[in-house]
Amino acid sequence: MALLEVSDLHVEFDTYGGTVHAVRGVDFRLDEGQTLAIVGESGCGKSVTVQSFTGLIPMPPGRIVRGGATLRGHDILGGGRIDGKEVRGREIGMIFQDPMTSLNPTMTIGDQIAEPLQVHAGMKRRTAHARAVELLEMTRIPEPAKRAEQYPFEFSGGMLQRAMIAMALSCEPSVLIADEPTTALDVTIQAQILDLMVDLQRENGMAIALITHDLGVVARMADEVLVMYAGQVVERGSVDDVFYRSAHPYTLGLKAAMPTNQSEGEQDLQPIDGSPPDLFAPPEGCGYAARCPFAMEACQGQPPPVYGIRAAAADAYDHESRCWLHHEDCDIAAEGVHKGE
Amino acid sequence: MGRYILRRLVQGVITVWFIATATFFAMHNVPGDPLQSDKAVSAEIRANLEARYGLDKPLMEQYFIYLANMAQGDFGISFTQQNREVNDIIAEHFRISAALGILAIAFAALGGILWGALTALYRNRLPDIVIMLLVILGISVPGFVFAGLGQLGVVNLNAALGFTLFPVGGWGTVSHMIVPALVLGLGTMAFLTRLMRSSMLEIANADFLRTARAKGLPANRIFRKHQLRNAILPVVTVLGPSIAAITTGGFVVELVFAIPGLGRYFVQAVQQSDYTVIMGTTVFYGAFLVFMVIVVDIIYGFVDPRVRLE
Ligand SMILES: Nc1ncnc2c1ncn2[C@@H]1O[C@H](COP(=O)(O)OP(=O)(O)O)[C@@H](O)[C@H]1O
Ligand code: SF4
Ligand SMILES: [Mg+2]
Repeated sequence: MALLEVSDLHVEFDTYGGTVHAVRGVDFRLDEGQTLAIVGESGCGKSVTVQSFTGLIPMPPGRIVRGGATLRGHDILGGGRIDGKEVRGREIGMIFQDPMTSLNPTMTIGDQIAEPLQVHAGMKRRTAHARAVELLEMTRIPEPAKRAEQYPFEFSGGMLQRAMIAMALSCEPSVLIADEPTTALDVTIQAQILDLMVDLQRENGMAIALITHDLGVVARMADEVLVMYAGQVVERGSVDDVFYRSAHPYTLGLKAAMPTNQSEGEQDLQPIDGSPPDLFAPPEGCGYAARCPFAMEACQGQPPPVYGIRAAAADAYDHESRCWLHHEDCDIAAEGVHKGE
Repeated sequence: MGRYILRRLVQGVITVWFIATATFFAMHNVPGDPLQSDKAVSAEIRANLEARYGLDKPLMEQYFIYLANMAQGDFGISFTQQNREVNDIIAEHFRISAALGILAIAFAALGGILWGALTALYRNRLPDIVIMLLVILGISVPGFVFAGLGQLGVVNLNAALGFTLFPVGGWGTVSHMIVPALVLGLGTMAFLTRLMRSSMLEIANADFLRTARAKGLPANRIFRKHQLRNAILPVVTVLGPSIAAITTGGFVVELVFAIPGLGRYFVQAVQQSDYTVIMGTTVFYGAFLVFMVIVVDIIYGFVDPRVRLE
């Protein structure tokens, strides 16, 4: 049984301009100790995916139209409870993009970390506070006892993100959801935070769902990768499959647009032309058709199904791509697109 | 924090000096004086009076005498009431104004926070729409209209009840205080309600509230410890100006409800050109407001660590 399983998730928002179809049928599973990366351009529905099943999107205007989410087989869709106990904060910890605004400005860091312990573990204030100091130490914040008494404005961005991690892990959750945890930080700090997450995962075996639009972060952290586009998963597979045997044109586009540090300005960056489709009225056919260099007639009218990509050797993760190029009758030689062994 | 308070106090003293100076020179440029009353006084008596009150000395000398006296807390003697010290007048009547003002500001602040939070929770639903309509009325209708309406309401209420629930005017018991305090606090309460509402709504979208929900905290804890506490900050910031508004509003309410407060006395003093009382009361009110703003700033320091620890 998977630790966390999300199936056929559909999320919409009612706005003045109409209904935004933000997430259109996302599935994934996450096993213990595993790291799943969710990548894609801004606005493709990564945050809405994780925030909807954890009950963090505002409803209304948001609405989960269809789908399910289970944790160890228990239904948790919308941030529910398991055996009467809250899931958020105790089973699923979360950290977010902007640590500078993600903490309460009028409460000490220590109090904020102690809060879940008081609420979920029934600790007394003093015990919870002592534990908060240990947690700060665990996230390698110097002088943790002194820092626990300080307020967010006295912390730097990197230190705040460490405090957020301490808070998210306070009740030893089995899943950590990290929504672009390093996007708002300096490059050197980014690396430190990612290292910290890897170390803590090694120590306590939690699973991580890591949202990012940075393929460098994916390569460094992930076991499995979901590539999202316009509210759908367009490719999934092990990190090697997605990077070295990319099967979807969008993944190729993302790779071409990725700054790599090994080449000294030789390899030119090629941002993907155009912009993601309007999610008020998602296209009938493939969502990527308007930007895809290989787009065919069939792509405009019919949404491509998900194709399994055959692997040479058995792999822990299925490799799948949502693209007509993998249809058995398609004989177009699309350069760079891996079509299976 | 100690340094901060000290700095504010020094600023306060300078502000009060400025108010005192402005008042002094303004008063000396106003035509008419108390000795030129209906009963024409003889030149001789007039000279005596002028000498007694120091009006025969050059202006600058008068100014320094006035400043020196004031620094010792002596505001002089009333021009129109024989042998009454301005200090005594302030001491006797300000107590009443203060009681009325405190009640009004408490009513305005608590009401503003309560209604503001309520309208935000019921955003765009009936309670919000009704309360916000009343708020627009409260902000746009001048205080003296409320004073008149309040009094009319009391008269009708007493008539309908057949006994005096709230006296129409005067002072002395709690029942004398309630209606004037409500009337006095109404405009400020409306203003604070609107401020609290928008502050609550702004904070409802704050990232740290999402964090609080992600931590799985119970809704009422999120509301109390994360939303309310932060939403109150802007309300505390405007308490200083609100106290000023209620203090000046008190002049009218005291007149209408025949309350023997300092505000009513001040208005009378202006009508009678009672120089020393006018100057003393003005400077006193100025000092009081400056002091209240400092007090509010200190309170703000306690609610917002960013200010306290700066
Ligand atoms: N509260 C909301 N109201 C309306 N639309 C929203 C809301 N939240 C997200 N969306 C829309 O949902 C889509 C997906 O957003 P999001 O999941 O935040 O993207 P990202 O992949 O960058 O995390 C976007 O088009 C966004 O405009
Ligand atoms: S289905 Fe067609 S348009 Fe879509 S990615 Fe594949 S080739 Fe491109
Ligand atoms: Mg996002």
